Amino acid sequence: MLSEKETTIIALEEDVVEFTETKPTPPAPKKEAKSVDVKDVKIAAKKTAPRTSKKELTMLAKAASEFAKKMLAPNREENDKYPFGPFFEDALEKAFGVDFFHIILPEDMNGMNQGMSALSVTLDNICQEDSSLGGILFTNAAAQELMIQAGSKAELERICSKETVRDFLIALPVFNNPSEVKHLAQAKKTGDAYTLSGSLEYMVLGDLAGQAIIPASIAGSTRYSYFLVDLKDKGISKSEPILSLGLHACPAVDLELNHVKATLIGQEGKGSDYFEKMADRLHVAAASMALGVMKGSFKEAFDYAKKREQGGHEIINWSEVKMILSNMAIKISNAEMIIEKACKAVDTLEAKWETRSRAAALHIQDMACDLTTDGIQLLGGVGYMKDFGQEKRFRDAKHIQALLGITPIKKITFIENMI
Amino acid sequence: MKKGKEMVAHAQRSPFDHAPCFEDMTSSLQSTARQPKGMLKETREVVALARKFKEEVMRPITLSMDRQMQKDPEYLPWEFVRKANEWGFYTLWVPRIFGGKGYNSPSMSYFLEELGSECLGLSNLIGVHYLAVVTMFATFNIRLINKLLREVEDGQKTGIPCLLSLAITEPGAGTDVEEVELVDKGNVGCQATKVEGGYLINGSKIFISSGHVSRWHIVICYEDLKNPSDTMLVLPVKTGSKGFSFGRKEHKMGVKICPASELNFEDCFVPDDLVLMNKEQNQKNRRNNKQTNSQMIDYVVSTSRAGVSAWGTGAARGAFENALDFAINTEVNGKRLVNHEWAQAMLAEMYKNVAISRLSYVETNYANGLCGLYKTIQFKPLFYYFKIVPKIVIDYIIRPIINLPVTTWVFRKIQLDGQTDAQFHRTSGWASLAKFTGTDAGVKNCQMALEIMGQAGLRQDRRAEKILRDSKLLQIYEGTNQLNRINLFKCLAAQGHSQVRVFEHE
Repeated sequence: MLSEKETTIIALEEDVVEFTETKPTPPAPKKEAKSVDVKDVKIAAKKTAPRTSKKELTMLAKAASEFAKKMLAPNREENDKYPFGPFFEDALEKAFGVDFFHIILPEDMNGMNQGMSALSVTLDNICQEDSSLGGILFTNAAAQELMIQAGSKAELERICSKETVRDFLIALPVFNNPSEVKHLAQAKKTGDAYTLSGSLEYMVLGDLAGQAIIPASIAGSTRYSYFLVDLKDKGISKSEPILSLGLHACPAVDLELNHVKATLIGQEGKGSDYFEKMADRLHVAAASMALGVMKGSFKEAFDYAKKREQGGHEIINWSEVKMILSNMAIKISNAEMIIEKACKAVDTLEAKWETRSRAAALHIQDMACDLTTDGIQLLGGVGYMKDFGQEKRFRDAKHIQALLGITPIKKITFIENMI
Repeated sequence: MKKGKEMVAHAQRSPFDHAPCFEDMTSSLQSTARQPKGMLKETREVVALARKFKEEVMRPITLSMDRQMQKDPEYLPWEFVRKANEWGFYTLWVPRIFGGKGYNSPSMSYFLEELGSECLGLSNLIGVHYLAVVTMFATFNIRLINKLLREVEDGQKTGIPCLLSLAITEPGAGTDVEEVELVDKGNVGCQATKVEGGYLINGSKIFISSGHVSRWHIVICYEDLKNPSDTMLVLPVKTGSKGFSFGRKEHKMGVKICPASELNFEDCFVPDDLVLMNKEQNQKNRRNNKQTNSQMIDYVVSTSRAGVSAWGTGAARGAFENALDFAINTEVNGKRLVNHEWAQAMLAEMYKNVAISRLSYVETNYANGLCGLYKTIQFKPLFYYFKIVPKIVIDYIIRPIINLPVTTWVFRKIQLDGQTDAQFHRTSGWASLAKFTGTDAGVKNCQMALEIMGQAGLRQDRRAEKILRDSKLLQIYEGTNQLNRINLFKCLAAQGHSQVRVFEHE
């Protein structure tokens, strides 16, 4: 007889099988890895701009939602204790098993070859329950996208052939734009080979992943480059997992590098270009994470307001509570519309798609910070306690806002791109 | 012709008949002449002491204690409580006639801002003791105030801290128990039953700050759960009493070092001579029992909310200082962040939030000094007399007088009967204004600090994220900021409009 957990997993697998069977095309056989020019990748991307049908998106959303409800929600408080509690290894492996980490990868890398719509819908549903896994998915997708933009197809293909999730994951300092605050290692070139030394702060997934993408400056160059390093390299020492505001189970570490063998990603001095191109696309995915958190916070508050009494009535019947709930619902409705439009713009390479993606993130991340503070407020004292998800969502929303750089600078960059 | 009549009517009306009430606008101005000058000197001493304590005791442990609490939420901060006791903080604002050092109460707000700018959790371990002290004072039961505060004094002398906690919130009622107008409709469950020689308490209280480290708990309970507003009692219960036990210690997002405790009562006996306030005692007052209970709660929140505002100001200041330090020491896009104009504008906004919040709690304290809890003690002759009166006179002449029922009667006549409705509306309204101004500013500045700091702001070891987690509590306790807005509306904003009803269900 199967345990309840086993039954749950089988049910989940059935859902996901249903989704994977409806992939647009089956994965193509692996090709010989070779380096591809950036221009070729861009042209290829344009030709095959991933367009996920509405039906496919609905099924992906359902799979992600079921996964989140079964694998994340029941242990949310426990998982949030990391690094002082166990890491949710099961959930991570299961997410890997059902290909959530393969969404934006090309088919020839066993990927789904989907665009930002598919990644966003997944992140939205995952983050409704626990955005820590969303943070892992996002970081890894950002690293993959950065390599795609840099044309490091061969390296990416090698990584994507790894069989275990930890070997497959790529760490990236995804909260920092190295052009803004120069957290950079120093790269030394000897012949065609590179070694990295120095320190790097807040490497997300640094203690989980098999490899990391590291921004570093090469002596004599004013521009930075990206390098890939093996995190098992003896020259790397890692700090304890950093205790942080939110996304506790999406851990980061500080790295010390001492003559670590590194592989250049793309071209020397082009790090900033790759980052910005990656960020153009991934901003909308970050917005989707914020949307997921908003939905989770609203649902919790709405359910609570229907049950909790104050002044002899359920609090939902007090007009000030209705007003707060309404403001939350309006924010969510607007965010959904914005993200749908922005995802479509990114996936179809509409005019100004980069602007749409960035504007969505800046606006929705801001809304999520406001909404989640109200989400606690509606629960009063219990909203501040660990027993409910509201305090975590409040922390996570602020954490998510910092993805891809310092918020006010992202705003300055936004207008500078228009000047 | 009609216009002429209106003009005559207009000329006959006093310019001060219009809202806002002149007295509500000018507490600070009215206070300048009445307030003892010695308060400034004392406040300077208090701020200096707070800054010394912050540097020497708090800063070295703030982050490590927060980390420790995340690792082991069951840890109790006895070491810090003993240290605060050693520094004399649990008696600093207790009047000398009750065994304390007699520093003026408004200076405590500055103290809380200073400590709050470093760590709200550690600061709570000192401040919430005075929430309970203030609640005792709001009953004006002078004999019992003296009895319990003498234990606090002994606690300081012996090095075994004697802290007080205030127990109001219940599992089924949070906002409701903060407002006498709501409590009758609320789901209260902590009951006191009259038995021979005293009362038996049954029920639970939750989210009681410092509960686990306090020796006495000032419990608000009710004789008739269906009519709590008219049957409210204030009873002190000592840790270790039969029928009293601690329940769970809440796992909070922030303010972790200060325990939020569940207190359980099962036929817990409190003798008659420990009743701080009940219906029988209130019969001697000018107002009826329900009105007196409302006035008593307003006395408490008019002072405690100024303190919470000071904490909000402290959080806002801590966030500002953190962001400024980051901006000075971080280069962004090839230039120090602090020299980017947008950053300067954000930092100026944060500084403004701190300054406005401070002004709001200072004004509230002026109102409390003019017509609230501090009125008697800040009356110049008494203020100076209590400063200079020799201890021997206190011990052998004043203490026996304090224990006479007539002393309680006199204080209740002056403070309870002597306070007009307009006066308690003024203190209560200003306290609500200060509470949500300061605490909203605290959260806002933390959010701005994290935006400015980006990745660095997310790390616990950089402090900004901790201040954000801590500051969020301030918008909830001592009445949610939503409740405080309605209270401000009731007390000040809707003055003179007889049509206005608050807390009415639509």
